[in-house]
Amino acid sequence: MSDKIICRCEEVLLSEIVEAMKTGAQTEKELKLKTRAGMGICQGRTCRPLLEQIISFYTNKKIPQASNLTFSIPVRPLSLSALAHTGKDYKNEN
Amino acid sequence: MEIADAVVIGGGVIGTSIAYRLAEDRNVILIEKGEVGSGTSGACDKAIFLQSKQPGFPVRLAKASKEIYENLQAELEEPIEFKKGGGMIVIEKEAHLDFMKEFVKKQYKAGIDVNLLDRKETLAIQPALSETIAGSTFSTEDAEVNPLLLSQAFAAAAKRRGASIQTYTEVTGIKTQDGKITGVQTNQGYIATELVINAAGPFASQIAEMAGVGLTIMPRRGVILISEKVEPMINGNILCSQYMASKHFTSKSEKNAPSYGIGLSLGQTESGNLLIGGSREFKGYDRKVEPHVLSAIAAHACRIAPALNKIKIIRSMVGFRPYTGDGLPIIDWAREVDGFVVAAGHEGDGIALAPITGKLVTGLVNNDSKSSDLLEPLKMDRLQVV
Ligand SMILES: Cc1cc2nc3c(=O)[nH]c(=O)nc-3n(C[C@H](O)[C@H](O)[C@H](O)COP(=O)(O)OP(=O)(O)OC[C@H]3O[C@@H](n4cnc5c(N)ncnc54)[C@H](O)[C@@H]3O)c2cc1C
Repeated sequence: MSDKIICRCEEVLLSEIVEAMKTGAQTEKELKLKTRAGMGICQGRTCRPLLEQIISFYTNKKIPQASNLTFSIPVRPLSLSALAHTGKDYKNEN
Repeated sequence: MEIADAVVIGGGVIGTSIAYRLAEDRNVILIEKGEVGSGTSGACDKAIFLQSKQPGFPVRLAKASKEIYENLQAELEEPIEFKKGGGMIVIEKEAHLDFMKEFVKKQYKAGIDVNLLDRKETLAIQPALSETIAGSTFSTEDAEVNPLLLSQAFAAAAKRRGASIQTYTEVTGIKTQDGKITGVQTNQGYIATELVINAAGPFASQIAEMAGVGLTIMPRRGVILISEKVEPMINGNILCSQYMASKHFTSKSEKNAPSYGIGLSLGQTESGNLLIGGSREFKGYDRKVEPHVLSAIAAHACRIAPALNKIKIIRSMVGFRPYTGDGLPIIDWAREVDGFVVAAGHEGDGIALAPITGKLVTGLVNNDSKSSDLLEPLKMDRLQVV
């Protein structure tokens, strides 16, 4: 089997995901903590559905309707200064 | 039904550290409702600070823990990314200079190698900081560790000693008879045991209640911003003197203190992500962080470290520090029932204190007099409210 990139941001290969599952990882969160898949700049926007499929394939669990991985704000990458400017404290701080 | 010599409740850095030590000569079961390290221990910074601790007992406790860290990676035979990168407390305002000078003097007396640096010396170590800061205190003794790996490593090493680590299992009740612990009920079954260790961090009060034990530990919410991976730009870990003020002087209502208990904590992971914190708020277990808290953290960080302005934030992380009220954990037997140990309430220092906590709990249950010196100030009744 030729290997495939699952998480492009963190460059995680399918073989690494499968290896992590062999050593006990069962959920997206466990896979993330073991391989960093989903921890990159896009925060799993690309690899999340792939991970769900892989888990479903190897564990016979159904693909979840809503993702098991939590999304946290900001939902899109934002520069620190742009984030700073969104709040009322900005004036007090500067 | 299972049988265990000891049941540890909670699979964070504290519970796993305890399970590892107890498993040396006991048959241990650790119960965790989620995954190992999925609670506060997976939503925090990585700092092992000595110089930020209050001189006196808190420094002694942190030093004892740090000593264990020196050989921990080899002992556990697992990577934990322990590094002695040094730590800095930035003094932003001239107004904090006197207070920090006093603090350094006391720390030095307490045996911590910490130095007061002027602006130039500070910027030489941390070029990302603003030219307008007043100075800093710096210690080469401060270190860091990867908290995600730490819980995993303790759990793996505990397993090798024969402990059973049961994840996705929730403790729902604790059985007692004639004033003694007899067992733990989980949603997966019943475990007969005479010894329960409550290491449920910010949930320790709920667990204590199941055994009829009174315990007040409150969740003190903290938020951290996480950046994209960037080139190395931060050396070791950075706090600001405002953080020190927020941490140690909340009760003295400081005028002009920033909202939401904001104080800078800044570090960079091995992977290159920046961890930019943080806040200290009492908000129950509410994970929904108001946008103005995030922007306040960002504004504070931008001002102290303008080099971060353009860096992209990819997510935020919310954690609940287990708060006892005096900044120290409780490691003690419960008075109400025999066989129930509380080891929780490490607030913002649980990563730093995890190694010593495992040893102290073992010392406590083995009645080892070597531990009593460090256990005395961690007793439960010191906090009894009037
Ligand atoms: C923003 C932030 C930054 C921080 N930075 C640092 C730092 O740089 N250095 C440092 O030393 N400390 C830091 N801390 C503090 C540190 O994270 C905590 O002190 C530490 O993680 C507490 O560990 P714990 O094992 O007690 O709690 P937790 O990690 O929360 O573990 C308790 C576990 O108990 C489980 N549990 C609860 N109820 C049940 C039940 N009924 N049945 C089964 N399991 C249950 C939970 O799922 C949880 O996993 C920080 C904290 C925050 C929030």
